Amino acid sequence: MAIAKAERLMNLALCLLGTRRPLSKRELRESIEAYLEAGSDDSFNRMFERDKDDLRELGLVIATVENIEGEVGYLARRDSNRLPPITLDAEEAAALGLAAKVWQQARLAGAASGALQKLRAAGLPEDVDPYGAHGALEPRIPVHEAAFEPLMLACRDRRPVVFEYRKASAARPEPRHVEPWALECWRGHWYLAGFDRDRGAERVFRLSRITGKVRSRGTGFTAPVPDVVTVRETVAGWAGEIADRSALIRLRSGAGYPLRAKATEVRELGNGWDELEIPYGHGLDAWLVEFGPDVVVLEPAELRADVVDRLRAVAKG
Amino acid sequence: MAVKPARTVNAIDQTRRMLSLVTYLRERPGARIADVARAFGITEDELVADLDLLPMCGTSFRGGDLLDIDTDGERIWWHNPAALGEEAAEPLRLAADEATALLVAARAVSTLPGLREGDRQALLRATAKVEAAAGEAAGASSRLSVTFESEGGVFADVDRAISERRRLWIRYYSPARDEVTEREIDPIRLVSVGHTYVEAWCRRSEARRTFRLDRVAEIRILDEPSAPPEIELRDLSEALVQPAAEDPEVVIEVGPGGRWVAEYYPHDSADELPDGGLRITLRTPDPASLRRLALRLGRDGRIVSPPELADSARGAAAKALAAYDTAEPAHSGR
Repeated sequence: MAIAKAERLMNLALCLLGTRRPLSKRELRESIEAYLEAGSDDSFNRMFERDKDDLRELGLVIATVENIEGEVGYLARRDSNRLPPITLDAEEAAALGLAAKVWQQARLAGAASGALQKLRAAGLPEDVDPYGAHGALEPRIPVHEAAFEPLMLACRDRRPVVFEYRKASAARPEPRHVEPWALECWRGHWYLAGFDRDRGAERVFRLSRITGKVRSRGTGFTAPVPDVVTVRETVAGWAGEIADRSALIRLRSGAGYPLRAKATEVRELGNGWDELEIPYGHGLDAWLVEFGPDVVVLEPAELRADVVDRLRAVAKG
Repeated sequence: MAVKPARTVNAIDQTRRMLSLVTYLRERPGARIADVARAFGITEDELVADLDLLPMCGTSFRGGDLLDIDTDGERIWWHNPAALGEEAAEPLRLAADEATALLVAARAVSTLPGLREGDRQALLRATAKVEAAAGEAAGASSRLSVTFESEGGVFADVDRAISERRRLWIRYYSPARDEVTEREIDPIRLVSVGHTYVEAWCRRSEARRTFRLDRVAEIRILDEPSAPPEIELRDLSEALVQPAAEDPEVVIEVGPGGRWVAEYYPHDSADELPDGGLRITLRTPDPASLRRLALRLGRDGRIVSPPELADSARGAAAKALAAYDTAEPAHSGR
């Protein structure tokens, strides 16, 4: 039976952690059963390189040292791999335990539990009652977009990417070359902020509109990364939450609760209708049309015209 | 209680876990399987799989020192802890991904407006300590951030009602009917998936319902005890609205400008149309509730079926237009 990959990785890790002098590839191959069975030198070399990458992925710092004969050796030095002392009390431990459960994306869920396990091994107190301590709160971070993981890695490693992106109103996707800065989840959707090479400016992309694969471009960043990346403000602008004007509407009594909740002024007209002053930002016309005959726009004329235009399109069917 | 996301056996996750396990077990001879599994957040079966693998591992280049770890099914015994030098068993530093995953989640949770203040303070202290211990591995965590949305005051009342097992009275806005209704609910749990929801037993509809906190217009904690029937909790991570197979079908055709519908409405299918639009098929217990959507879409889409729904949207638009023929563009009385 083939030897499990986890067994091979574990043996390599223990060998590298347990040695005080660099071990050559030859020594490692002779010590680890899976490598003895690897067959050709080529397949061993490939396997060994992949395994080293995997161990680095889980945090092991592996030093490469050349000895006097020019032979390369490997070791995981204690001082570069040891967790610095950390002491957390039971309350802090319980809070971290709750946080570690919020990821729904497999890679991050695995990494978060891995972090907690390392802390546990370092003496993190254990939850007596992992649910009771936090009442009924169950926060979850949703990640449904396939583009998430490759973009997360590209942001981490500061690698430019290219992907096909379909703008909200575009019929066809277009390739976009982006230097990815940061990912942000807002209202359950993921957004990417970065430097758009084709447009020569900062842009925000919604991950659900990326079609097909995210590919890496090996070259480095050409534009400086800002200290503060603002995704939410841009998205709030799209969502019409940044209002610079106000509008006057007539609303049927009892209808349109969310419009009332946003209104800066409400006047009862006494004839079954109220008059409301509401903030006017991007997208207000589409929202008002949803209320059908319960809303009449009075001012400004431009909003009134937009709403009438939309209603005509629906009435025509 | 919570349903764990399905995880395939991943060699990297398992290796990472086993490295922490040896450190942990070395300090705790005779540790109980149930306790260790809980401490590591894994099932007992997963732990037993690790325990099967560990005796194949060791620093064998020194002459065959495999880890002699076994279990009698209840406790775990390590017969040669010296096989791993003191140093090789020390806790390992956090990897960049581990620090990112834990810190981003901790920062997100600490922004939940309804989090109890004591818990928030504990989480902030823990976050600072983990940042310090992670060192430069914590750097990349600033490239990922998550904001949960929830209405602070409503959240606090729901949270209190759950822990005190009390009934709630709410005025709740339903966008589908554009109406605010009063209900008494027995809250079960709070769920944050982008927006924050309370799952509750609704005494008016005598059914399990989820209520979005930002649609709660008013809330009061009642003196009556909450008494939700014993119901099985579902995994709400995929979709909060789970249409039933017998729900009526609605077909909507949208142009390129209406493609967002597929992002916001759970659907059975979304087929590409030659003009860059989509033909979306979805099910809902109440097709009339989609009239709002039909009105919103304007020239970006239309209801194909059922015809009653398309008629009702057309009728509503015509009625709304009539008001513009008579209403004077400028209002009077200001």
